Amino acid sequence: MVRVNGALLRFTDYRRAITVAAPTVEAALGKLAEEFQPLRKVLFDREGNVRATHKIFLNGEQLERDELGRPTGDADSVDLLLAISGG
Amino acid sequence: MPRWCAYQVPLDTGMFTPLGLQPTALFRLAFNGAGDWLGRNAMSHRRLVKDHSTGLVIWSASFISGAPVSFFDADHLDVRITGRVCGGGTQFACEGEVLSSAKPAAYMHACCVPLRLDGDPALSGVPARLSAEVMATFLPEEIDARPQRSPVPGVRAAVVREGTLLARHQTHFTIHRHQCEVADQWFWPEAASLASGAREDLLRAAADGVPVLKGALGTQLRRLDLLFNRPFFLFDDGAVVSSAYEWEGRLVFIHELAGAGDGHVRAVAIEQFARDGLIWD
Repeated sequence: MVRVNGALLRFTDYRRAITVAAPTVEAALGKLAEEFQPLRKVLFDREGNVRATHKIFLNGEQLERDELGRPTGDADSVDLLLAISGG
Repeated sequence: MPRWCAYQVPLDTGMFTPLGLQPTALFRLAFNGAGDWLGRNAMSHRRLVKDHSTGLVIWSASFISGAPVSFFDADHLDVRITGRVCGGGTQFACEGEVLSSAKPAAYMHACCVPLRLDGDPALSGVPARLSAEVMATFLPEEIDARPQRSPVPGVRAAVVREGTLLARHQTHFTIHRHQCEVADQWFWPEAASLASGAREDLLRAAADGVPVLKGALGTQLRRLDLLFNRPFFLFDDGAVVSSAYEWEGRLVFIHELAGAGDGHVRAVAIEQFARDGLIWD
């Protein structure tokens, strides 16, 4: 399960909680971007890395960028938080 | 001399309560005026975002009421706004004066933190100094090496330490799109609206038992200070925890705006009213 916050909702067709089956956090984010194409440019930079402007949590624990390979299972939840935007 | 821009704003009844100017309306006016100042003197907010990948996010704001004014005093307000860079490029601050029939009606101050935008459609960004290119559009006298400070932590500590707690109340809210700006992030003047709504909920719940609280329904807000930690976004649920104090002859309301999920305080608002008609400077 991946949960997204308010500023990202318009890129996920206003779905707040999305179930994806993926072996790692990074793979889950990739699947999410496959399902919701507009999210890809928001979530990943040109090199395909997750943008530093997003905070990512696995079961409430904030992950560093080098921890996105952490394994995930059916019971896990990933929270995707856009900390701030400059509108 | 720092540059100012001055203009007139036609009045509408929605800018007032029966007691005076609406702080939320003035904050919106101030933000609009700051954008006008930037556009005339430095570069437009649109160009700042679009061409320089630089956003501005609010960090603190204050409203100080001046002479009593009503909708029936004049056909327009005279507004003067100036801006400056502070903290070596880590802040953009603006101040505004509002006059009604040549009487000072309100003073406003706001301080923003620049963001380096990452270039994605969500306008995500991280705090960063203004670039040299953007800094060059300001006059030397509009650049201050010292950072701005917020009065909120000091006032809050003094009120809690020295004041008498009168009542406490919690008001829940959800952020909807009409309360947001272009990136589905709350438009910061909404903090003033949420705080004043929460104060009125507190008064409705507690004023019969604590009659002194009714002073905050019958007199104009004298001062409002806002401090922002992080924003709310579209459909975020939150709560305003409001605490009413009597302090130095004033009624003071401290509002903590917290997210419903994590409980983290994202903004603090402090409203001050003169009790029994007392005035302070």
